[in-house]
Amino acid sequence: MTPVVFCALASFQGCAHLQIDQLATELPRSGPEKTLAALEAIHPPDRDMVQYLLDRGLLKIYNGDLAGGRQDLEAAKQLMASLRAISATETLAAATVNETLRKYNGTPSDQVLVHVMLAFGYLFAGDVDGARVEMLQANVMMQQLSEGDSTSGQLASARFLAGVVYELNNELDDAMISYRRAYEIMRERSEAIPSALQVSLLNLSWTQGFHDEYERYATAFGRERQLPTENDGEWILFYHDGVVSNKQESRFTVFAPEIDGLISIAMPKYPSYQYRPRHLSLRSGKQRQRTDIVENIEKRAREDLDEQNAALLAAATARAIAKYQVQKGAAEQNDLSGILATIITVASEQADVRSWNMLPSSIQIARTTTPVHAGAEIVEKNIELPAFREVTDGSHILLFATSLNDRIYTFPPTGLIEKELTPDARVQTVAGEF
Amino acid sequence: MKILILLVAALSIAACGTSVERVDEDSTIDLSGAWNDTDSRLVAEEMILDVLSRPWILEHSGRTGKRPAVIVGTVRNLSHEHINTSTFVAEMERELVNSGRVDFVASRDERGEIRDERIDQDLNATEATRNAAGQELGADFMLQGQINTIVDAEGKEQVRYYQVDLTLIAMSDNRKVWIGQKKLKKFIKNPKIRF
Repeated sequence: MTPVVFCALASFQGCAHLQIDQLATELPRSGPEKTLAALEAIHPPDRDMVQYLLDRGLLKIYNGDLAGGRQDLEAAKQLMASLRAISATETLAAATVNETLRKYNGTPSDQVLVHVMLAFGYLFAGDVDGARVEMLQANVMMQQLSEGDSTSGQLASARFLAGVVYELNNELDDAMISYRRAYEIMRERSEAIPSALQVSLLNLSWTQGFHDEYERYATAFGRERQLPTENDGEWILFYHDGVVSNKQESRFTVFAPEIDGLISIAMPKYPSYQYRPRHLSLRSGKQRQRTDIVENIEKRAREDLDEQNAALLAAATARAIAKYQVQKGAAEQNDLSGILATIITVASEQADVRSWNMLPSSIQIARTTTPVHAGAEIVEKNIELPAFREVTDGSHILLFATSLNDRIYTFPPTGLIEKELTPDARVQTVAGEF
Repeated sequence: MKILILLVAALSIAACGTSVERVDEDSTIDLSGAWNDTDSRLVAEEMILDVLSRPWILEHSGRTGKRPAVIVGTVRNLSHEHINTSTFVAEMERELVNSGRVDFVASRDERGEIRDERIDQDLNATEATRNAAGQELGADFMLQGQINTIVDAEGKEQVRYYQVDLTLIAMSDNRKVWIGQKKLKKFIKNPKIRF
């Protein structure tokens, strides 16, 4: 029984992920700055390091520390790669104690989203080539994750962002392929196609001379191309809305008369889906373009867990049988050993509720065209944007915003746009009043 | 028994410590399979050998009676990895300058600082030591290039193909006087089991 006791004690030690869960729950109210400070005070065990680095990297990006954010996310990415091999010791510990003794390695969506967030980190620091590297890596990862008809790990947000990065590089063939894949993924999931993706597909299929394909899109979307003129510039807005739900533990405990004790199975679950998206809109003159969801991370997280569930349940059942044998053996020795074994085996049964839980609930996009000398506004945040030509001589400006603060990033980078919310204003924003 | 436990504990602590070993700079150590110093060195060596053996230098010297002056333009990383292209470009620059057959002029980024210093000299240096503006050596050729990769991955295995293309372009008429290419191919197998 000694190894079981040892492992059980080891599993109780690491409550860092519970602290991280708490911070993630409070993030919409506390904001990224305070949450980051609190997160940095936590020293997680090795097995929670990936989760910790992913969360910290994203918070650093939200707080304006793009280089620091990239460093953390890059470290998480490398750790995730090294953890793809199956660990003999962790498997043994998970089979006998609980799943939290495995090193957290991220879900299929996490494995792709780490590239997406890194790409944001490079792009809004002005490094298009760095963002392009991440998009190529995301492409390889999605290829590796694709299995048959499953959409597991296939992210429309990654495909759309890749399309934008290719457009910035004037690699229009590759951009078209990426937008097409984003469309296919969303259609496969029966999700509404965001207006920004519709415009990208219509405009690019037309300019690249794929007129049959253009007609198909025009029919499917019920709209025509919106090609910018020489005097127009294109704004593309990426918006991170909310904070994704935390996993919870679901526990089933039954009384086993044979051992006169309890058998417990703990499984992770998500709370019921209650996400109500809030949107931003870009206004220029009389034109107003609202952001639409390109990635519903609330749904991706639940899909990833659903895919894992059968394996987790089988493992939990096998573990319950192993623990039952331990309890039975102890009960046969004497009553006290039996009671002690029951306490330890039931208490050591914990669901693995770790996740990248500071991700947004959704990634949203908007794409609009304005005259180059006209200003624009992000309506809900009451942020005035300078005229297009004040920011760039090029044809695109990219914007990045989150619901957690009023920091706005631009590509090309400019110090022209930034406004911080007061704590009171942030609470209003969280309440959806903008 | 206690001694045995202490011994095991001591050994396990010792095994966790960081170890550092000096190795030869030319030794090949592949850890992750990603682009590393060896790849950078192989590319630089190949490119230097090639660029020095081609007729563009003699042709330019014969025509003008001067060594060609080269400026490094952009070497873009279009690969799947974050590669610092300046390492092999700097190595090429060093070898070419040391060969005595080519001059390199400062790149756009480097020039800014030098010009600032020249303006400062104009105000603060003695006339005898002052360097005048407008005396810079104009480049005859610009070196540009890119790194591309093709990655094929299946499960724990990956084939990575790198292609480095460098081009030397005459500033006077946009002629491409030299095109260098180096290809590398790696087969990477990641472990299926770890401790």
